[in-house]
Amino acid sequence: MRFKVSLLQKTRQTFQAVQRLQSTATTAAQQYTWADPARRHYKFWNRETDVTGQYSYLIGISPESLQREARIVALGSDEADEALHQGPLPLGASLLGVGTTVEELQQNVDKTSPNVLFVSPNCPHAATVLPQVLQAFPSIEWVHCRSAGIDFIESEELVQLYTHRLQSPKPLQITNAKGQFSSSLAEYALMACAYFAKNLPLLLQKQQERSWHKYNVEELRHKTMGIVGYGDIGRAVAKLATVYGMRVIALRRHPFLSRDDPYCNVVYGRDQESLHQLMRESDYIVCSAPSTVETRGMVSAEAFQHMKPNAVFINLGRGPVIDETALQNALREGKLKGAALDVFVEEPLSTDSPWWDTPHVLISPHNMDQTATFMHEATEFFLRENLPRFLCGEDLLNPVDPVLGY
Amino acid sequence: MSRTTVDHSLFWNREISSKLSYDANAPIVKEAKIISLSDVNDPSNGPLNNPTNDLPQGSRLLAVGGSIDDFDVELLKREGANTIFVSHPLARDPLDRLLQEIPSIEWIHSRSAGMDFVASPTLTSFQGKVTNAKGLYSSTLAEYTMMACSYFAKDLPRLLKNKGFKNWEKYNVLELRGSTLGIVGYGDIGRAAARLAVAYGMKVIALRRRPVPDDLCSVVYGNDKESLNRLFAECDYILCAAPLTAETNGMIGKEQFDAAKSGAVFINVGRGPIVDEDALVEALKDGRLKGAGLDVFATEPLSKSSPLWELDNVLLSPHNMDQTATFTYESTSFFVEENLPRFVRGLPLLNPVDASAGY
Repeated sequence: MRFKVSLLQKTRQTFQAVQRLQSTATTAAQQYTWADPARRHYKFWNRETDVTGQYSYLIGISPESLQREARIVALGSDEADEALHQGPLPLGASLLGVGTTVEELQQNVDKTSPNVLFVSPNCPHAATVLPQVLQAFPSIEWVHCRSAGIDFIESEELVQLYTHRLQSPKPLQITNAKGQFSSSLAEYALMACAYFAKNLPLLLQKQQERSWHKYNVEELRHKTMGIVGYGDIGRAVAKLATVYGMRVIALRRHPFLSRDDPYCNVVYGRDQESLHQLMRESDYIVCSAPSTVETRGMVSAEAFQHMKPNAVFINLGRGPVIDETALQNALREGKLKGAALDVFVEEPLSTDSPWWDTPHVLISPHNMDQTATFMHEATEFFLRENLPRFLCGEDLLNPVDPVLGY
Repeated sequence: MSRTTVDHSLFWNREISSKLSYDANAPIVKEAKIISLSDVNDPSNGPLNNPTNDLPQGSRLLAVGGSIDDFDVELLKREGANTIFVSHPLARDPLDRLLQEIPSIEWIHSRSAGMDFVASPTLTSFQGKVTNAKGLYSSTLAEYTMMACSYFAKDLPRLLKNKGFKNWEKYNVLELRGSTLGIVGYGDIGRAAARLAVAYGMKVIALRRRPVPDDLCSVVYGNDKESLNRLFAECDYILCAAPLTAETNGMIGKEQFDAAKSGAVFINVGRGPIVDEDALVEALKDGRLKGAGLDVFATEPLSKSSPLWELDNVLLSPHNMDQTATFTYESTSFFVEENLPRFVRGLPLLNPVDASAGY
């Protein structure tokens, strides 16, 4: 579900958010040291590399470790949330009610005030409903989002509420499913690179014609990959790219956090010149950035102009991060070898979308992380990792900042 | 057929091995008198046939040709030709003749990794040294292997069809992570693929003549029929990277496809004749195999009438998935820069081949 914000609202949002960002920038270094994977107290969770179930095990063997109760309400639900609805939930946790609007929740939830809100991406108009729910139930102190992207619940109201509560004795914590979908997307990214390196479009065409036409293929080895938005997904892509023998350029807001990262050779900051430099140097560009006030339209027409003539552009973050028209034009004019896109500004793509007829582009319906169990696993993450931590009074994993948008 | 005579420490890999690591100070003990059995018009043979600098000290190119008529055999015999560089696709008969007529030949080097194109009884009983281009093409083929696995895991055929119909239809994809890759013929190519597969989080099962444990494989089986069938039953993706020898000819057929796990994908970068192609077509048609990625075929070029062309669960490439712009040129350079200097100094040659085993 995509919530469409009006242009005026968006402008106001951008202006105010940028003002806030400037004030937080100075303390960034202290605030974000925990965001460095090499640090002991890394607050983000990766499905492939992290130990699982520590705290649910702990509660099981020693109920004295429980510090508080979790009274959960769920906004939106589908069959992937089965584990939440059917349980069993950890000791001390209970599901009070489910709904998609404030009214529904007020009807279903009994007098006990909830303190945890679980949000599913299938909840319609989530961006409008969420602040209403938070206002109707001020006892909620933790919101967990089942997906990694939080752009679908972002709004000016949420930011205001969050910022206001920061001063109160019970600040609002928001967490998400970062690190849950990274490895599938990394596989897709490397497949998309190889798709163009081995010239599969030509191969498939010749196969159709029953034509045995030998041609040269390219190697990924020793080529350069630039990753725009070096989060968990970016890092998973870099990990694979490194094994292939590629050179990796990472681009992120805080380059110092990846200073000692063995998976990238160079780290750039988020200024325009760095982005242009990345475009100049990369044979393969993977865009894995979230959609935030800062990143929207970041990969602009100007950025695309700096690409190598045989570059390949892959977007598996969010559609609005790139200038779609600029990319379409570049593809039509043969300014790059090709593109692979799993995400779009408009999803689903309507049949009259220009993307269907754009040449040299591999289109997938935002499903390259959609395994049969991915959303079930995301719910499991909430139940087995963050909920037990909440119950034991420990720090929650995967904190997000609605001001930053990720 | 066992291969007992080759020294594995002499295998060279383009990605991992150090270059020019022979002792250049060792004295030159003999001359290399070279016959180049190659296409004179192929620029990839340039480092030998048309070098810009001199050939390594002690090496002399005697003749270049593609067929036996191109050579003055009596002259070559008198000169005492001792080295043959073979790359011509039709080299089987000329090589056979040269070996029979010129007793002074002591070394044959193949520009390709496969030796099947020059296999003959004369070669099988050849007592001299045989070397090849093992380890030069492995990483490119490993890249192709992972792409072929992903091609089916993310159901690219469906994706491409949907684009044609402007159909935004979300469907589930499979992860390679957690799946199993079986490798038939665990040589340099197999190992390069295993290295990538392990990085993806796949489990790797290798089929080797001697089941020696390997740091990249979870399990290693022997090369008997039962082990081969077991491999097909346990693996989601099966890579055939074996050479074509008397032993491997027709090794994979109906029995193996019958044993295949549901949803299995078969990838062949070894040699076509290892697989019974008719049985393969049947298995692809009736769904015993989910799909196949084939770079090699029993007959190449593949005949237009082959049913493989029209199967939409086949990724078909014209034996070019290791064909980079420079790979054959690099292979000739390997002969000139690595093995020739070793030969003239009497040092062990890299990439030894057991002529009697055929690989």
